[in-house]
Amino acid sequence: MYCANCGVKLADTEQRCPLCGTEAYHPDIERPEVDPLYPKDFVPKRELSKTTIHIILFTLFLIPIFICLYSDLYINRHMTWSPYVLFSLSIAYVIIIVPSWFKRPTPAVFVPLDFILVALFLQYINYATNGDWFLTLAFPLVGYLGIIVTAAAVLLYYLKKGHLYVVGGFFIALGLYMDIIELFLMVTFKVNFDGWSLYPMIPLVLLGLSMIAISISRNARAILARKLHF
Amino acid sequence: MKINKGFKWFKLDNAAKIYPASHSRSWSNLFRLSATLYEEVDLKVLEQAVKNTIPRFPSMAAKLKQGLFWYYLQPVDEPPTILAEYSYPLAYMTKKELKNCAFRIIIYRNRIAVELFHSLTDGTGGLIFLKTLVAEYLELKHEIEIPCEFGVLSRKERPKHYETEDSFIKNAAPVKETRKDTNAWRIDGTPEPDAFLNITNFQMSSDKIWHLAHEKNVSVNTYLTAVLMKAILNLQLDLVHNPKKYKPVKVLVPINLRPIFNSKTLRNFALYTIPELDPRLGDYSLDEIIKIVHHKVGTYATQKNMSKMIQTNVADEQLLILRIVPLFIKNFVMKMVFNSVGEKKSCLSFSNLGQIRLPEIMRKYIKRIDFILGPQAQAPYNCSSYTYRDTLNVTFSRDIKEARLETYFFRELQKLGVEVTVQSNQR
Repeated sequence: MYCANCGVKLADTEQRCPLCGTEAYHPDIERPEVDPLYPKDFVPKRELSKTTIHIILFTLFLIPIFICLYSDLYINRHMTWSPYVLFSLSIAYVIIIVPSWFKRPTPAVFVPLDFILVALFLQYINYATNGDWFLTLAFPLVGYLGIIVTAAAVLLYYLKKGHLYVVGGFFIALGLYMDIIELFLMVTFKVNFDGWSLYPMIPLVLLGLSMIAISISRNARAILARKLHF
Repeated sequence: MKINKGFKWFKLDNAAKIYPASHSRSWSNLFRLSATLYEEVDLKVLEQAVKNTIPRFPSMAAKLKQGLFWYYLQPVDEPPTILAEYSYPLAYMTKKELKNCAFRIIIYRNRIAVELFHSLTDGTGGLIFLKTLVAEYLELKHEIEIPCEFGVLSRKERPKHYETEDSFIKNAAPVKETRKDTNAWRIDGTPEPDAFLNITNFQMSSDKIWHLAHEKNVSVNTYLTAVLMKAILNLQLDLVHNPKKYKPVKVLVPINLRPIFNSKTLRNFALYTIPELDPRLGDYSLDEIIKIVHHKVGTYATQKNMSKMIQTNVADEQLLILRIVPLFIKNFVMKMVFNSVGEKKSCLSFSNLGQIRLPEIMRKYIKRIDFILGPQAQAPYNCSSYTYRDTLNVTFSRDIKEARLETYFFRELQKLGVEVTVQSNQR
């Protein structure tokens, strides 16, 4: 069979012309079924070894740390602001990269670990700036957020069903968290209650409740699936 | 069972040294030779044939090891696992694979293919390996006896020392040739995102091309090189609109040095010549290009001139200062030099294995032979050619999407009245 466009004779393996891409079809010509020159859709995996990726990422994290430490020491002759960079990048490394070292990183370990590191970082800032807000503000706020995020992450990871319940519950807990923030701010900085926390709390709780309502009602789910399909 | 006990290791030959240094994901330096039979390949028999054949080729059935100053080849301890075919040939060979076994044996239905890292051997050496392997397979499968002729080696004999020699060093002249050369036009295109290698194979009557070539009193190789250069020239004239930006059209034509120096080595022993057209001087007719290629190859491919070129490469390798530098520094420097000058000197290479001859009894079982070069490091194309039976094959490999050069090449053949059948591995 010849290509209708460029005129080249096509081997029986060719469904399209390899030169111009024209479909090889003629109603009067029956073409025998033959094996393709190479098997279709069997492509080697292009793998970059995990160790190489980790070394590259580790180096990428080290570069800004070294630049900051060097600049800080060179300009100020002692460490002033660079430990903040060092701590925050280390935390980012633990949060983003460290779980990928493991085959199945469980959120039950890694999420609380991340919050503990954030709490330690805040404790350092409190200490370095001679602050008085860690125990009465940062610790309870990070602790509460750590508990609800861990609970949600663990439930989402291990439960096979009912994810909408969990997310709904998480939003309600997050709504209540707004009130807790305001409460601890009042205790720590002796400010009056002015109720700002109600503004984010009400929509968060409503959002959470509506998610739970949707997960209870099969009809609601069906309607949403119909309206929101994409 | 350990094989190849007698040969412990081999230095890389002069041409082989650049390949491991410049080895990268974009340039694997592999080439493939395959034989397609009339029947499905029997894996068990092939495994036995591989086991019987590889002790005969200690320098080719080898792994690439790293020394402190140079790489070296060490014969494999065990026959390699026979692999299944992917959707494209010459898939990237990692450094780890090279360390274990620098060649692959692949089967797909009726086809037995060998893919060799270029440090092991060149096309001629690879073809001898393939012929011997397939002969052993056919002998085992059909209980026939195949005479050891036309490049089929006896598996019962021990490897000869002249087969593993570095013929470059032996044949170097006392004077060097200059390396100065202009850069060539680079064919561009959209890279295949997943490193897919497109293969386009043209089949045509070898008689027809032979007659066309002999009308002009040139060889088939010269004639085809000229047609290919004309195609590249036309492609450039169509793609580049500003004549000031035209760049030379250059095709690297490998020259097998074995007949010139009467060598029987199975290691690399080929050099090249690069015929050139300068489009800034105006258009060229095919006859003009044929003359240019014919005279260029004729004046270059002489024993004296080639030994001068060999000396250019050998002299560098023998410099004491270079020899005592640790391998990782050598690699770095060689890679840099290669990247900056290496393959900018030609648009592509056009490697012609010529007429592939087989013992009469083998020909009954072998439907076709294929020879494929991996693309170049910086240019997306390479091209190979060979004649088996009455069919002349020209195979393009490219790692870009557009098949422009193939189309232009086909148009040139069409103008000459050559009927061409095309086959590919397109997705």
